[in-house]
Amino acid sequence: MLTVTDLAKRHRRARRPLFSALDFSVAAGEIVALVGESGVGKSTLLNCIAGLETADSGSIAIGPQALDIVRLDESARAALRARSIGFVFQAFHVLPTLTVAQNIGVPLLLCGIPTSEHPARTQALLDGVGLAGFGPRWPASLSGGELQRVAIARALVHRPALILADEPTGNLDPRTADEVLALLLERVREQQTSALVVTHSQHVAQCCDRTLTLTPDGLR
Amino acid sequence: MSARCRQTLSWWLIRAQFRSRRAATLLSMLAIALGVALGYAIHLINDAALADFARAMKSVQGDPDAVIAARDSAGSVPLATLNEIARDPAVLVVAAVIETRVRIDNARTPVTLIGLDLFSAAAVMPKLLPRQDPQAATGNILAGGIYASPALLGQLGLRAGATLTLVRGAQQWRTTIAGDLPAARPDELLLVADIAWVQEHFGPADAVSEGRVRLAPDTDLESWRSGLAQRLPAGLLVRAAEDDSARVSNLSRAYRVNLNVLALVALLTGAFLVFATQLTAVAQRSTQFALLGVLGLSPRMRLLQVLLEGLAIGAPGAMLGLALGYALAVAFTHVLGGDLGGGYFSGSAPLIVPALVPALVFLALGCLASLAGACYPAYLNRMQPLAQALKTGFAQGPAAGETARSRLPLLPLLLAPAAFALTQLPPLRELPIGGYAAIALVLVVGIASAPLLTQLVFGWLSERPLPAPQRIALQNVAQAPLMAQVAASGLIVSFALTASMVIMVSSFRVAVDHWLDHVLPAPLYLRSKATPLPQELLAALQQPDAPFARIERMANEALTIDPQRPKVALLVRELERRNPAARLPFTGPLLEPPADMPVVWISEPMAEIYRLAPGQTLQLPLLGRTVEVFIGGVWRDYARQFGAIAISRDDYLQLGGDFQPTDLALWPLPGKETAADAWLAPWSTRYGLEVADSAAIRQLSLSIFDKSFAVTYALEAAAMLIGLFGLAVTLAASVWLRARELATLGALGFDRRMLSRAVMLEGALIAVVGLLIGLACGVAIGAILTHVVNPQAFHWRMSLDIPWTAVLAGALLTLAAAVVASHYAARQATRLPVAQVLASAQ
Repeated sequence: MLTVTDLAKRHRRARRPLFSALDFSVAAGEIVALVGESGVGKSTLLNCIAGLETADSGSIAIGPQALDIVRLDESARAALRARSIGFVFQAFHVLPTLTVAQNIGVPLLLCGIPTSEHPARTQALLDGVGLAGFGPRWPASLSGGELQRVAIARALVHRPALILADEPTGNLDPRTADEVLALLLERVREQQTSALVVTHSQHVAQCCDRTLTLTPDGLR
Repeated sequence: MSARCRQTLSWWLIRAQFRSRRAATLLSMLAIALGVALGYAIHLINDAALADFARAMKSVQGDPDAVIAARDSAGSVPLATLNEIARDPAVLVVAAVIETRVRIDNARTPVTLIGLDLFSAAAVMPKLLPRQDPQAATGNILAGGIYASPALLGQLGLRAGATLTLVRGAQQWRTTIAGDLPAARPDELLLVADIAWVQEHFGPADAVSEGRVRLAPDTDLESWRSGLAQRLPAGLLVRAAEDDSARVSNLSRAYRVNLNVLALVALLTGAFLVFATQLTAVAQRSTQFALLGVLGLSPRMRLLQVLLEGLAIGAPGAMLGLALGYALAVAFTHVLGGDLGGGYFSGSAPLIVPALVPALVFLALGCLASLAGACYPAYLNRMQPLAQALKTGFAQGPAAGETARSRLPLLPLLLAPAAFALTQLPPLRELPIGGYAAIALVLVVGIASAPLLTQLVFGWLSERPLPAPQRIALQNVAQAPLMAQVAASGLIVSFALTASMVIMVSSFRVAVDHWLDHVLPAPLYLRSKATPLPQELLAALQQPDAPFARIERMANEALTIDPQRPKVALLVRELERRNPAARLPFTGPLLEPPADMPVVWISEPMAEIYRLAPGQTLQLPLLGRTVEVFIGGVWRDYARQFGAIAISRDDYLQLGGDFQPTDLALWPLPGKETAADAWLAPWSTRYGLEVADSAAIRQLSLSIFDKSFAVTYALEAAAMLIGLFGLAVTLAASVWLRARELATLGALGFDRRMLSRAVMLEGALIAVVGLLIGLACGVAIGAILTHVVNPQAFHWRMSLDIPWTAVLAGALLTLAAAVVASHYAARQATRLPVAQVLASAQ
């Protein structure tokens, strides 16, 4: 569901490219960990895949229709993200001014899924991440683990083709991190979604199906 | 994304924004409401006053196709001329009318008495037809009965059958009320009698005030009127009903436009507050918007969302403004009258009737102002780099870039000469459009100067030996000055407008004060409202027992020079041809008139409206003919905005005029001031005359002056409040945006007091920058108002008088208020939960 071909990126004033000739793919239902040292370009690669930064060359095909996000304009990239990508961040990034249910409902709105379907899908996801009854609550009243569960529900609710997770357990204590990771992997597998998980944690990487290591010389 | 989904998401975000920023949103809404309310109220009042006047004109004048009248208020239309016009086959009927002002018994205020011919009036002025009272044992209209409007009957407390005495100068008519005027308007104070009886008692013989003409239906009105105008003697004019409407509209046009510009200023400050609110909202929610962008909200939708939020502030604000405007209109008409204290219309408060189209226009204006305020924040939101904003929050955009910084001084340097050039433009359709545009440009120059001054002041200060929190705060503003500039801009706009109004009003007041010194030389004044003073009084004043050392007599008339313009006052005064400067405040040289030609001295408004200058000759419609007069000089006059001409009594008499004094200036004999008052008292009571000393007239004049500026004082206060609120909002937002920096300082050991001081210092310095630029702009705008707007709109010239004490006291007060406002922001800074802020991504 994700195919990266000959991808290269150079920062504006840098003498050498951050990365070049990257080739890899993530199949449907496969969970791939992306590891590497700080500054090697993991986040930039993730941003390029999400269409938040533009690659200098190469292609990134996402979803069953294999749309190349590199070739799309800004609005089309936003539309592709809305439809085909779910995000989980280290800092949770749950909107504090919306309720838990509304936070989970945002991707459904962005995809244009009829509002009549929202309550059932939101409820199902809340149940699935162990937050039944949390729908009307405000994020400020939730713990870190609960917030990340909300983020996972939000990433999956519109059934995207690809999940991009950036250090999804980085801000959690080890026990909660384990629980959240298990939940994320379980739900991703259940939905047969592809997932690319950026992490510094060996434990997280081991839980994934495959590990890619980004180095200054390329992927290993 | 479907429309419904888009609406739902927009609504969620708008609701969330309102919930989290209640005070800022509500105040922005109120600011928009204030602007709309003022503009709409002015429109409603003016519309109602003009409609009211039109109805009054129609009621008294009927609906004639043409009116033949004398150009000179002392003149009249000979009956022979009207008879000749009546013989024209295109004329259906000519209704002769005598209109005069009489006092009833010894009442002080005169009322209008209309003498008409019953049969012709039925065709042209049906609303003036009288109704005979069946109970009154008097003769009918032809037998000398008089008919009063219901309002006048109510005011006098009289009924049909009552007897009253009508007085005009030395002439009197004792008559009986024979009935009423059923079609008169409810507030109209009017008497109607047969024209022959009016003529017999008050004149003029063989002439009337006006002839009102109804033409055959197929007549080309325009060509008939222009044909007649060429045939009429020089002292007469023919005018159309539209001329009256145009004249009344012209009467208050400049004042109206000025008030509308003030309302626009209020709306602009409202837009500025929306700008400050939305910019801080965008800055505070940059991470949230970035997240929505990452999740798939398109750039266009991010832009639209901020615009929609602006509209969500503007639309309810504008609707509230409409309701408030209506309430204000009703209240203002009752308190200040139909001219908002301008003194243009008299009579009772007009009926305020709101109409749909103007209401929609003002609603749209409110929404547009709000949208305009939200434009730049929306653009910034659209341009935020998503990945960066998600990680580090709001990016201030290109303003902090080196290239942009080097260009900063260019904009003011380019715009300042443009503003000056605009002040040199002549008025456009008699309105100071160039002056208004120059004011707008001065404000833009002020705001454009803010970045440079902010960076200079904060950059220089941050290198001084200051405590660390203060230095860090100052460095932060110098490096990323957007929020400081927004806060300073609010103060620049509000203080500039307030200072400029204070400067203009003070200049005007000082000028009026000096002018009153010159035009009120006598200790006592006596006047009869528009009717000649009784001969008996004038004769008594000549007797040796009258306790006066000196008496000067004056007569006031009115001349129609252009039927579409308000009448010009003709002041016949006991002036010396060679030394008029003893009584008139001349503004330029006095020219020696040719010996064989009458001389007049024209007022400044007269010179500007009719483009006249000393040394020219003027064809004056006077005493039923055209008289060539020499213009000997121009004098300052703040009392008659539409022009005045002074002529000496001797010249007037030589031209064949009948000098009937209406006003007297009296100098009591030394030590006989009390005796003079006592001597005048019975005359005043008997003839309803007004006696006032110069101090009372001065006080009344200045109080009228202050009343006419009442609306502007209210706007000044509103502008300052908005500016201060803008400062508080932006400082609070700035603290919020620097939460991590301040929390880090807190974690490093700086206590709350130190942090609080740093934020307050920042606020005070921003206020100083804003006030300095605001003061410079205020002086410039004050000069434009005084030297460009006032002369072009109102034909009033004066010198600039800056009340430094008041202006600087205002600046200090604002600075103190700004420190209080920044204390609010400082409290936010000291209440930051250090651990939580440092732990969070924000």
